[in-house]
Amino acid sequence: MSQVIISVGREFGSGGRVIAEALANRFNIPIYDRHLITEIANKTGLTPEEIEKYNEKPKNHLLSRRVNGYSNSIEDNIAEMQFKFLREKAASGESFVVVGRCSETKLRDFKCLVSLFVLGDMSEKVKRVMNVYELTEDKAKAFIDKKDRKRKRYHNYHCEGHWGDSRLYDLSVNSSRLGIDGTVDLLEDYIKARMAER
Amino acid sequence: MTAAQIFAVVIFVGMFVMIVLDKIERHYVTLGSGLLTLVVVFGICMRNGSAIMDTLAFKSFATKDFWYQVTESESKGINWATIIFIAGMMVMVEGMAKAGFFRWLCMKIAYLVKCKTVPIFITFMIMAAVLSMFIDSITVIMFLAAVTIELASLLKFNPVPMILSEIFCANLGGSATMCGDPPNIIVGTSLGFSFFDFLTNTGLCAGICLVVSVLFLYFAFRKELVSNSSAPVDMSKFPKPSEAITSKKDFTISCIIFALAVLLLVTHATTHLTVATIGLFIAVITLIAFGKHAISLLKKVDYKTLIFFIGLFIVVSGLEETGILKLIANFIGDISGGNIKLMIAIILWVSAIASAFVDNIPFAATMVPIIQSLSETSGVPISTLAWSLAIGTDIGGSATPIGASANVVGTSVAQKNGYPIGWGRYCKKIAPATVIVLAISTVYLFVRYL
Repeated sequence: MSQVIISVGREFGSGGRVIAEALANRFNIPIYDRHLITEIANKTGLTPEEIEKYNEKPKNHLLSRRVNGYSNSIEDNIAEMQFKFLREKAASGESFVVVGRCSETKLRDFKCLVSLFVLGDMSEKVKRVMNVYELTEDKAKAFIDKKDRKRKRYHNYHCEGHWGDSRLYDLSVNSSRLGIDGTVDLLEDYIKARMAER
Repeated sequence: MTAAQIFAVVIFVGMFVMIVLDKIERHYVTLGSGLLTLVVVFGICMRNGSAIMDTLAFKSFATKDFWYQVTESESKGINWATIIFIAGMMVMVEGMAKAGFFRWLCMKIAYLVKCKTVPIFITFMIMAAVLSMFIDSITVIMFLAAVTIELASLLKFNPVPMILSEIFCANLGGSATMCGDPPNIIVGTSLGFSFFDFLTNTGLCAGICLVVSVLFLYFAFRKELVSNSSAPVDMSKFPKPSEAITSKKDFTISCIIFALAVLLLVTHATTHLTVATIGLFIAVITLIAFGKHAISLLKKVDYKTLIFFIGLFIVVSGLEETGILKLIANFIGDISGGNIKLMIAIILWVSAIASAFVDNIPFAATMVPIIQSLSETSGVPISTLAWSLAIGTDIGGSATPIGASANVVGTSVAQKNGYPIGWGRYCKKIAPATVIVLAISTVYLFVRYL
């Protein structure tokens, strides 16, 4: 199989991570999400908990500064480490699925990249989050808003394009229309078509 | 307030906010703000073409004083001497880095103290201070922190206390000379002070503070400096200092040029060569000496910082020409009620607190015309206020991870190697050290100048 890198951006509660995992299984390639944290932890000597604390988190502008490409923000440095790790993996010829981490922008120079964005109807997302996190409807909605706001800030700080803007991705799909399995089928076909194109 | 004053303040505040928000690179922010100042404040509001020409200060290149200065003079507008000097030193430092000078020096010192943790801790602090007297602290910390992490992994100790102490001492060393820290270059070139003036005034203070700081930091970090390995140090496993040298010829040339730069700076009050001349001369001989590599050295010069300075000087000129800085000076004069002690304390501590949170370069550039005005109205010697400002801005920057460039670079290098340094970790020991040094500096200023 020729190299393929599948980047999955997602709204919180849309099932993006589950879809990414299913795609990784179908193409039999590794997925970098939580695994990315473990890999970075092994490489740097930081604990996974330390990395998790700052993972995909926007930095506090008032408490951080950047000088000649160096930043005192731990969030920035963890993000840079992840971007570097992903670029190295991509350059090594490995195929993988990556969830978030601005990968649609950071890896766009690789021709084998297929960038996807999974969104969902708010009602479906709320149901899913209520179920997974055992929250009330109001709390689930607030949780989704908070998580998406954080992802948006993180993404838009590190990239020029806007998070969730369809122009940034090869394909944006609403997982509420076909359900998780139906969406995975659709995306699998799309990725295969893309791979056949090359 | 006039329209010109309002716009000058709005542009200045807007510039500061944009720098803090870090959405747009800071050199674009200051340059854009500078252009706005020229067009809106000087052009539209004041309709004053000569203010624009004074601010751009192109004429200064044609004056003899810019290159060879017998009597002290003050500059206005864009401080081209600062920019040429910094550019020249950047070229020299790039040459030194290319030859492997900094890594060689760090490894050599580690070898001389037989790679023992505590002696490395103490000698690296002193080295950070001494190197920062002549070379920008960003470069010093970039190399020191990298070597510290390398040694830490070989000797099995935690590099964070050592990196924090190096950062602190680099900022302290920078306060000792005119070329040690950008605020000092601005103060020196704007007010006509020499390298020797700084060395005998802020330098003496920095020397006293360095002794206290080394002791304080040693006692503060001594428990964390213990090596995790009880095995004796096997020096054969360590990279040899000579391995750091990429080219013996380039290394020798770099050492000679560095020695020449130090000599020219130390003697510039006697030779009457200005820092602009020294910067240009050093850059030219470095480029000639490196021959075919000259272009690559030039490409590595940090032009963004130079542009940042140009924009910044224009924005500050806007505040100066519209009389805003005079109003602030009068305000400081009023609240101190003519009490010189209070005036010194205000300048030192306000500069220090401000520099702990905002870039100390724009702060110093803004404060220079203020202390000039304050000196004229209160009769306090300008030198006393200048030393208070220089010490305050240089030392205050140490207090937080964002106070000075060296702090950002040092913490970033540590983090990229798996040693996260947050605000709490940084400030726990370094903020008290900063307060101690500022307290000593206050007493020093009172005893020496009053």
